Amino acid sequence: MDLFSNLSLGLATALSPSALFFCFAGVTLGTLIGVLPGIGAMAAIAMLLPLTYHVPPTEALIMLAGIYYGAQYGGSTASILLRLPGTAQAAVVTLDGYPMTQSGRAGVALFITTIASFVGSMIGVILLAGFAPVLAQVAGAFRAPEYFALMVLGLVAAAMLGQGTPLRGLIMVVAGLLLGTVGTDLQSGTFRFVFGEQMLTDGLGLVAVAMGLFGVSEVIANAARPPSERPDYRVNWRAMLPTRADWRRALPAMGRGSAVGAGFGTLPGTGSSIASFVSYAVEKRISRRPEEFGKGAIEGVTAPESANNAAAQTAFIPTLTLGVPGDAVLALMLGALILHGIIPGPGLIEQQPSLFWGLVVSFVIGNLMLVVLNLPLIGLWVSILRIPYRLLYPAVLIFICIGVYSVRNAVFDVWLVLVFGLVGYGMRLLRFEPAPLILGFILGPLMEQYLRRSMSIARGDPMVFLERPMSASFLAVAAGLALWIIVSGLRRHKGAGR
Amino acid sequence: MSEARLNPRAVAGGLLATALGVFAMWEGSGYAIGSIRRMGPGWFPLALGVLLVALGLALALWGLTRHAARAEPGPESESADWRALAAITAGLAAFAALIERAGLVPAVFALVALASLAAGPPRPLRVLALAAAISALSWAVFRLGLGLPLPAFAFWR
Repeated sequence: MDLFSNLSLGLATALSPSALFFCFAGVTLGTLIGVLPGIGAMAAIAMLLPLTYHVPPTEALIMLAGIYYGAQYGGSTASILLRLPGTAQAAVVTLDGYPMTQSGRAGVALFITTIASFVGSMIGVILLAGFAPVLAQVAGAFRAPEYFALMVLGLVAAAMLGQGTPLRGLIMVVAGLLLGTVGTDLQSGTFRFVFGEQMLTDGLGLVAVAMGLFGVSEVIANAARPPSERPDYRVNWRAMLPTRADWRRALPAMGRGSAVGAGFGTLPGTGSSIASFVSYAVEKRISRRPEEFGKGAIEGVTAPESANNAAAQTAFIPTLTLGVPGDAVLALMLGALILHGIIPGPGLIEQQPSLFWGLVVSFVIGNLMLVVLNLPLIGLWVSILRIPYRLLYPAVLIFICIGVYSVRNAVFDVWLVLVFGLVGYGMRLLRFEPAPLILGFILGPLMEQYLRRSMSIARGDPMVFLERPMSASFLAVAAGLALWIIVSGLRRHKGAGR
Repeated sequence: MSEARLNPRAVAGGLLATALGVFAMWEGSGYAIGSIRRMGPGWFPLALGVLLVALGLALALWGLTRHAARAEPGPESESADWRALAAITAGLAAFAALIERAGLVPAVFALVALASLAAGPPRPLRVLALAAAISALSWAVFRLGLGLPLPAFAFWR
């Protein structure tokens, strides 16, 4: 099929009233949770996963995706006005966004970040539409060893490029893989780590684990947060428009940010947070005015915003064409698709053209909606920031509990949420990040199957991973990445010792 | 402030990971291991256990160095909030205990009342209003909107 007929199929899917409704619901909700500090996209998607069981898969994915990229837009609002990042991706935006507020340029910052988000997203969508079908064709030749190597690459990237030391990330990945083995072994029917508990024979529920680790632990950590200062920002249209000098500095930064974001988004295992951090570092390094960074440099807000939005869109490339998620949030969406009986992989675009192209077109529509939501309606979100957290978090907990209970009407799963909430809070105190763990948890069962299949094809010879060119190159990239991180860590170590 | 000699979070985290790894090895070796050519159900958990032990020990040892103390400096405000932890644990446990026995509304009230204690001293009127609002909202969304089998009060069935 040519691009034109693909796009018209996508338009037909995405413009149906129900798809439009779920797209709108997703981006609105995404903006809302992005604006509110203390509820991330991960927790929101985990909370809404149960709802999507009652919705057809295309609409479900359109909505979940809308939450994901909608949160990228909303995340910057609280960062700019209150120096409280609404999402992890937006933490970078506080560095120069808040100083802009202090110098009376909050409106400009809010305006330009929305434009930057839109530019980054559109570049990401174009890459997704152009690149994903090509990649799917290449991946058609992948067999078990290639998939295993690709998952190794994704997990190593997620572990190494997260915040904190790479060692912690690796521990989280392995612990996640281990959690993935709980339940019935598909090949032998053996119960593993079940301990006689009937409810565990199907494995740990994805929804319960994700809600506990991301939702409940976040609520525990933030519940006692003192009431934050209230934003005293008044929307003033005239003051929102950037000057010509602003545009001249911001537009190239958007281009560079989008490029950085698209690169990290396409790499499996790394998503928008790392993209926004790296893009900020790039801007600071190449700027002719590095001393302005941290004091309200407009490049410092636009480049990371473009980067995280470009990454949010391109992260769908590995997720949909290879079945290896771009980051932890996409791992959850992958889980949702699998629960709907759709196995993402090279065949997805051909077998489900209306899902793929409908999704692509819905991204364009959703981003247009987001521009409307974030510019004319910015006052609404600012006033939502005035709702104190102590009124919000009980509602979040209720939503989590009812949602997880409704998946299979099991009280057991509510207890599971509690257990994983405590585990997640403990991890937080010990500075372990939950994202690589979720990625390992979702990829674990697949990875084990690919490993077993590879070994039985190769008669137990592990060299098979190095003899096949594609799998060897994935492993080489993973090794290179690990080496680079370790070497740069050691260099910093030396620098600190001096 | 005197300079920290070690990084207790890294040491504790590493030891916990090691313990989890030992547990996985012990439990995994109870299943059929098989051979590398025909892996049994125990092979993968056992291998993961070995990896976890190695990584956990590495993290714990690294945590004993001065460099580790400097790389991840002291408590940054993320010290445990026992009050919030206890209140929210109790709230979730109450919800789990009540949802099937008593129904949606009592479970919501119990969770909201207990979880609200995390934010500060009890404020009965506020909690009542909040719990009533959330009950009505969740009943409307989940029961009316999605048609889930969640009776407002179980004993009215």
